[in-house]
Amino acid sequence: MKKLLSILLAVPLLLPSCAKADINDRIILGSSTELTGDFRFPGYGGASAGAADQDIAALTTGYAVMETDPSGEYVWNQTVVKTHTEEEIPQSDGSVNYRITIELNEGLTFSDGTPVTADNYLAYLLAFSTPVARSAGATGMAGQAYAGYADFFNYAGDGVKMDPDAPASREFTGLRRLSESSFSLEVDGAAGYYPYFYTASYAAVTPYDLGLLLGEGVTVRDDGNGCYLDGAWYESSSSGSSEALLFKKAEHMKKARYDTMTYPYSGPYTIVSWDEGTREAVLKKNDAFLGNFEGQKPTIQTVVCTRIVAETQFDQLTSGAVDILSGITGGDETKAALRLVGKGFRENHYLRAGYGKIQFDCDFGPTLFPEVRQAAATLLDRSAFAAAFTGGYGKVVNGPYSEESWMYHAAGEDFEKSLNRYDYSVSGAKQLLEQGGWVYNSRGEAYEEGQNGIDRVRYKKVTREELESLTTEEGTEATLSYRSVSNTDNIVYRTVEIDSAYYIPLVLNWFSTESNAVSDLLSSMLMNGAGTAACGMVIRQSAGDFNAMLGELRRDPSYGYSGTMTYNMYNLATGFTSPVYDYSFQWSHDPAYSGFSAVRLYDPYDRIFSYFAEDGTHERLSYEEAVRRSDGKLGMDYLSMAMVYDADTEEEYVRWWTAYIRRWNELLPEIPLYCNYYYDVYNEKIRDYRTSPYWGAAEAILYCRG
Amino acid sequence: MGKYLLRRVGYMLLVLVLLSFLMYLIYSMIPFDRARALAEEQRAAYKNDPAGFEAAYQNYRHQLGLDRSVVFRYLRWIGLVPVDGVYDGLLQGSLGWSFRYSRPAAEVLAQPLRNTVFLNLFSTVLSLGITIPLGIFCAVHRGSRRDTAVQIGTVVGYSVPGFIAAILFICLFAVILPVFPVSGMKTPGSSYTGLRKFFDELYYMALPILVMTFSSLGGMTRYVRAAMTEALTMDCVRTARAKGLRERAVIYSHAWRNALIPVITLVIGWFLRLFSGSLMIENIFALNGMGKLYITCLNANDYEVVLLLQMFYVTLALLGNLLIDIAYGLADPRVRADRPERR
Repeated sequence: MKKLLSILLAVPLLLPSCAKADINDRIILGSSTELTGDFRFPGYGGASAGAADQDIAALTTGYAVMETDPSGEYVWNQTVVKTHTEEEIPQSDGSVNYRITIELNEGLTFSDGTPVTADNYLAYLLAFSTPVARSAGATGMAGQAYAGYADFFNYAGDGVKMDPDAPASREFTGLRRLSESSFSLEVDGAAGYYPYFYTASYAAVTPYDLGLLLGEGVTVRDDGNGCYLDGAWYESSSSGSSEALLFKKAEHMKKARYDTMTYPYSGPYTIVSWDEGTREAVLKKNDAFLGNFEGQKPTIQTVVCTRIVAETQFDQLTSGAVDILSGITGGDETKAALRLVGKGFRENHYLRAGYGKIQFDCDFGPTLFPEVRQAAATLLDRSAFAAAFTGGYGKVVNGPYSEESWMYHAAGEDFEKSLNRYDYSVSGAKQLLEQGGWVYNSRGEAYEEGQNGIDRVRYKKVTREELESLTTEEGTEATLSYRSVSNTDNIVYRTVEIDSAYYIPLVLNWFSTESNAVSDLLSSMLMNGAGTAACGMVIRQSAGDFNAMLGELRRDPSYGYSGTMTYNMYNLATGFTSPVYDYSFQWSHDPAYSGFSAVRLYDPYDRIFSYFAEDGTHERLSYEEAVRRSDGKLGMDYLSMAMVYDADTEEEYVRWWTAYIRRWNELLPEIPLYCNYYYDVYNEKIRDYRTSPYWGAAEAILYCRG
Repeated sequence: MGKYLLRRVGYMLLVLVLLSFLMYLIYSMIPFDRARALAEEQRAAYKNDPAGFEAAYQNYRHQLGLDRSVVFRYLRWIGLVPVDGVYDGLLQGSLGWSFRYSRPAAEVLAQPLRNTVFLNLFSTVLSLGITIPLGIFCAVHRGSRRDTAVQIGTVVGYSVPGFIAAILFICLFAVILPVFPVSGMKTPGSSYTGLRKFFDELYYMALPILVMTFSSLGGMTRYVRAAMTEALTMDCVRTARAKGLRERAVIYSHAWRNALIPVITLVIGWFLRLFSGSLMIENIFALNGMGKLYITCLNANDYEVVLLLQMFYVTLALLGNLLIDIAYGLADPRVRADRPERR
């Protein structure tokens, strides 16, 4: 028995661990996010796609017509595009379409040597704009921005329509195959996709292997009226109602999505092995890859993507189990990472495009009023908060922007100075509250500081009519019946009615997630802060799980929302790493869009000067003209719409963007708490490894050298 | 015996059906809306089309059966109610869908189950191989210095939580003495096959196996020792000794057989645990096992996978109870179901 045990233990010890390969040959990329094998079309483009899967997709997919640079700006890919022309196409209904014609360079091939042609770009847009793709689990909306999409999507085979009452077309009129190496995309003006500042991004299409997309027996064709998929694409194993259609090609799409070996790749790397058991992927350099938009080709031969454990990640790095750790943040973790620098490892860091925040519901209760939100910001020492939470490796920002973004750079040095920093000041908070009319007690008398019980908080006097002018009917009713919850001191603060006027208590109902370090800090620095009490403000904390918070944020009964608007303050985090900075329709006063707004802020300026004037005369104005006609009072809805729908040049966009951020900073629907630095630590043998909020590990690996 | 088994299987099926409904009901009550989650993923595509977004949401609700009662959804999940004319539930072999991994739940389970069995098999065999002889030894030498030393050691081992032991072992055997890898399941980038692959996996599993073995030594050793101590005081043992049997025969043929009955419950339980993952160990060592999968799916609200996992464990538990009862009968004729009654 003893001998057996000894052998069992000795055998693994005697096994030589894999000899360390030279960095030029191989690097091991560690990720705390699990790989799932969804590398071809991660999450079908949905918001839930895993970060590690997306990294592999980015490493294996290339030759997009447009790519993003490190500052998140779209640029034409000169390696791919020989020529491109853009033209406006007036339509009979008065709208204008925008046609982008692209001619491809010669010599582009997939990893197996198959030439990259116009078909490879068009096939993706076609396949993923059909009910077949929807049947496979995708949205079927890949081509929604192009002319003729609705009719094309409605076509489900000869004589079969998804919606029997709507027109259907086999041909996608907005997509044209002009030759083997050229094609055009016509952006739909009538559907609202042109004019649009990011219209060019609709040309950011990527080629995929036809076998991967379409399977056997289907080709891309164009008889002069638009592209279509012929052959077996719409074959179905059932007939009759469109709901019961079982498309045979949907099964192909589902299988091909996870097939890492059969079909070639267009990117700098190809997947040579995917081990589902250990969740590890091995990528080899694609020698057929001609480069990204700058002509950059990879030099590292092999990339191994594997999972790391946060608790032992530095041990994994120092033992050589991984070569790169990305996105390290937090005080202790960052310090541990920096301790390795100079001892065989280098670091790279950038300021995150996003922040941890307090988010308000701005349509009811005290947070309906900007002075309350501003006072709350002033009562929190955000610099101290950020330093405490990030361990000194973070900073405070004053609006929803990334300091690495091209807009921020273009806005100039004075932009940051023009924003209110809401520095910690109890007297400043008091002043704000007094200016906002928070000068009463619960009996409608003048508020006096230093009182106890129900009189320790300030009240604001309003009338129903005033509320109705500020918020929705639902928001008005919720404010009139507003009351504090989670009352640990048995005092319930509520809106009181005195002589047909209403007095709203300065009590914020805060919903936080459980076991959250940010919540703990907020509790001590804001909720229980001396300044908060001194100002006559009370914050009541309720804790729950994330789903419960989503229910309250979205007011969604299926997530447990009770139907009563209760909470008006939350703490969570947000990011804006998308190159498309577009917040249009999120500040709309139209109740139909209420679910589209995270904070439900209805800017009063938009009531006075709305973007959606009935005669349409408020649209397509220059910034100066809009400022003049609105008397300098442009609201959030107007600015967010004009920023993307009225700006034609970068200069104009930046003007709108700057005004949008300033107005946001003024109304403060959120309080940015901390913006942390993300650190990458990597083996010092790796050189030129550079990341940014818009360029992750995949882009950095393309440039790095051993 | 046949009738007894049939009756037990009948009860098992009944319990299985009842529990499956209860579990389905509980997960249906969790405030989470899969249809909403799916629709929210496409929010950006409907940025200027709230009606389209609502239609997409309602479409998902219909697809998932969320516009019908929970009983309807349960019957659909079981496979007793058709969806668009097709029966596609557990009874038809469709074990659910993982929204987290976008593939059938059964496929999602396959690899983690293999990894967990691989890990647990070694640790269980190693643990039993150490604890049973050690427990017997301690019982036979009760009160000796060696027994006392083992008792102290087992109390310490029993008291140290698994995750602390894991961290300590990593620190000792992977950082200070870099004998084993810190975590992972195979040499990064390797594509070994056959025996090389087996030993490579064993090398990476060695540390978690050692931790799991260490953590389970205390309890089982003490349990075997207690059972054996009691058995050694029985009359039959005294009689066997009085008859002049060799001590080895007394211990292993008489005492151990009597001590086996309580131990059997634990040993069979251990083997049933071959299929259950260890959340802590799998997370700390980055192992793709059942425990890791379970918590990942719970966090991702991937309840069809969680339900399948729990149904699997419920079935295992029911089968395990049956096995234990049969094993009792084998170990001790007095408790056999088909034992002729004395008149």
